[in-house]
Amino acid sequence: MWWYVGKRLLQAIPVVLGATLLIYAMVFLQPGDPILALFGEKPVSESVKAQLEAQYNLDQPFIVQWLLFLGGALTGDFGLSYSGQPVADLIGRAFPVTLKLALMALVIEAVLGIIAGFYAGLRRGKLFDSTMLVVSLLVIAVPIFVLGFMLQLVFGVQLQWAPATVGGDASITRLILPATVLGLVSFAYVLRLTRTSVVENLTADHVRTARAKGLSESEVNRRHVLRNSLIPVVTFLGADLGTLMAGAIVTEGIFNIPGIGNLAYQAVLRGEGPTVVSVVTVMVLVYVVMSLLVDLLYAALDPRIRYA
Amino acid sequence: MTEPLLQITDLQVAFRAGKTDIPAVRGASLTVYPGQTVAIVGESGSGKSTTAHAIIDLLPGTGHVTGGSIVFDGRDITHLKRREREAIRGSQIGLVPQDPMSNLNPLVRVGSQIKESLEANGIAKGKAADKRVVELLEEAGLPDAASRARQFPHEYSGGMRQRALIAMGLAARPKLLIADEPTSALDVTVQKQILDHLETLTADLGVAVLLITHDLGLAAERADHLVVMYKGQVVESGPALQILKNPQHPYSKRLISSAPSLASQRLTSQLRAEVRESSVKTAGEIAAEVVAEDELLGGEVTTAVVEAKNLTKVFKLPGGAPGRSIDFTAVDDVSFRLRRGTTTAIVGESGSGKSTVARMVLDLLEPTSGSVEFDGIDITSLRDKKQQLAFRRRVQPVFQNPYASLDPMYSIYRSIEEPLRTHKIGSDKEREAKIRDLLDKVSLPSAVMRRFPSELSGGQRQRVAIARALALDPEVVILDEAVSALDVLVQAQILTLLNDLQAELGLSYLFITHDLAVVRQIADDVLVMQNGKVVEQATVTEVFDRPREEYTRKLLDAIPGGSIELAS
Repeated sequence: MWWYVGKRLLQAIPVVLGATLLIYAMVFLQPGDPILALFGEKPVSESVKAQLEAQYNLDQPFIVQWLLFLGGALTGDFGLSYSGQPVADLIGRAFPVTLKLALMALVIEAVLGIIAGFYAGLRRGKLFDSTMLVVSLLVIAVPIFVLGFMLQLVFGVQLQWAPATVGGDASITRLILPATVLGLVSFAYVLRLTRTSVVENLTADHVRTARAKGLSESEVNRRHVLRNSLIPVVTFLGADLGTLMAGAIVTEGIFNIPGIGNLAYQAVLRGEGPTVVSVVTVMVLVYVVMSLLVDLLYAALDPRIRYA
Repeated sequence: MTEPLLQITDLQVAFRAGKTDIPAVRGASLTVYPGQTVAIVGESGSGKSTTAHAIIDLLPGTGHVTGGSIVFDGRDITHLKRREREAIRGSQIGLVPQDPMSNLNPLVRVGSQIKESLEANGIAKGKAADKRVVELLEEAGLPDAASRARQFPHEYSGGMRQRALIAMGLAARPKLLIADEPTSALDVTVQKQILDHLETLTADLGVAVLLITHDLGLAAERADHLVVMYKGQVVESGPALQILKNPQHPYSKRLISSAPSLASQRLTSQLRAEVRESSVKTAGEIAAEVVAEDELLGGEVTTAVVEAKNLTKVFKLPGGAPGRSIDFTAVDDVSFRLRRGTTTAIVGESGSGKSTVARMVLDLLEPTSGSVEFDGIDITSLRDKKQQLAFRRRVQPVFQNPYASLDPMYSIYRSIEEPLRTHKIGSDKEREAKIRDLLDKVSLPSAVMRRFPSELSGGQRQRVAIARALALDPEVVILDEAVSALDVLVQAQILTLLNDLQAELGLSYLFITHDLAVVRQIADDVLVMQNGKVVEQATVTEVFDRPREEYTRKLLDAIPGGSIELAS
């Protein structure tokens, strides 16, 4: 198994190289001069501009910029942002916030999705099932920013059940509303996946055999239906955590959360090559590790799967 | 007279489709006395499994009992409350299900699954239950039961899983065991072992058995009493031997005359000889014509249309360490000749390498060493696209599963037309005429053309698959378990069809099967394979009348009902 893990981690190298190169090329092609944008309306002297360009390697062709960035990244130096802060510090501050938000969203979607999906599956075609299918369809169909603003307005502003924005203090109570918004969309998918999986497993031969053994309905459901149905769901949740940790630009924007998504968004607006690429590199790494963990978890859940 | 253990009277079961009830069982009655073995025999769709499942209320989907009564041990159990129903299952009535591959939960250790049965029926708990599980597995004939109990189902072979399921069904010592086709998914020799074991075990424990099977020979051999079901009704019931020797209902008569295990003994070898004579003659004429015309392949007319020489196939399996692999010899030095216009059968159990041989003869798999010669030409030398096409045209396959080998999105017409299109044969009109002719040859009405595979029965689909294989006028047809998935009656029809086609068209068949019983009806030469090697190679009469090898004898003994003498 360790050979398999090693192989998967080795595969991450070309992925990271390719992703950073692609991002660098795109930042390079972005119209507008980032240095001029930095000064806004104020006039810039040629010498200051040239000095700044040299400091951020902007006078080099983009391949060289990319190589210089890679060289720095290897030694742990992600460079400075245009406002002069080390990019590593920026990420270090934003990442825990995003992680907290992502985990909260994951718990919300997993708990609600699995419970609702399980009961919907057991009562297929009944009222609860149909209601849940309609609800999940609505959640999937409505864009997340609509959902975000609606919940913010209703629960944050009018009812004042939860803080409407997060700002500098990313505590659990402040993150509860954005985490719900973030989790809602995936909740719909978890619900549908669990439901389908339960419906399928209910007709499995081994479930009938379990009934024939004399097990009660709840024992059959708990031991043979639920557990077998959770395998695809767990796979989905793992992949989803990767997505959530890569930041949620819209949700973080609506609730003003200083997370990874917000950081990437601001950096893209300013054309800050090093920051964008550093953030993306972290996102790619998170993704690679998460998908590896999902595959290992899969093997732990299903004894038939062995990696060599 | 003792009280009956199970008495089913005029049972009606229906499946609800929309607002209407579609009856599946229409007035079935049967009686099982304590300790007795009763077999329900019938083809698929006859309602035999539905009847069995109705007893323990495990009808699938919308199935429900609409009439009649089921009395078990003096108590009406037709309509029970949920708790009462659960109390009867396992402890009073056990079930050994049909398919050992799908009836164990793949995620739970086998031991735990049996333990559940003990705990649910309040027989033992915790450590005591663990100990009992090992005893039960031993009792079911599983070697090394203590360590096996901790394994997962995928670490078991099919036979071992079935033993585990038997242990499970008998765990709570029920008075009645329903065995639903308990061995139809297993190899014949394993089947015999398991049934022998089940028989002694249930006799020792005094458990009554309700055996559900499509195999009349098996039923007659294992049961005291037979119940023949047809289209949801019991058409005949009585002592096993009496029904076999003196069937009253026309359906029972047809079943008995078609059951390969029983019928093959009586099928005159003369009939087969006539087929062969006509076929060899036609084949010779066709071959002379083809060889004269065919510039691509050339070759000469030989008596052996296909000759396999020292065929060996070694598969590389991923080994324990990175970069290492284990060699697995699937086919080991197999040689045979398929004489023109005759049938050579390759018989063996699963894993014997028989299908791998078929794939190599079809040039779908490259042999590790050895060669396949077709009309004297080594087929591995045919690397030119055109030559390969020419070869494919003359050798066509028919596969086991008629449900999987036809594209569900293709109409029957399109399925049969596809090979003609691929080989660019004829105009649209000519193709249509050809397809009509082919359907006629396989005895299907031409109206079938516009239908889709899902609208046809298994037997009809297999006829379509045969028509497709014949579309290119091949000389050799490779039949890989082509009749194994079919009911006995349909199987008999398809075998007759294959014989007729062979006589008419001079086809040469390579007939791959695990079922020795059907071999007698179609084959001239037999190859018995075991673990990739040929253990016996002889003519069909020699193999049946004077088997030389121990393994062949074992296969012959394992044919269910083979020992039953029939007055004909």
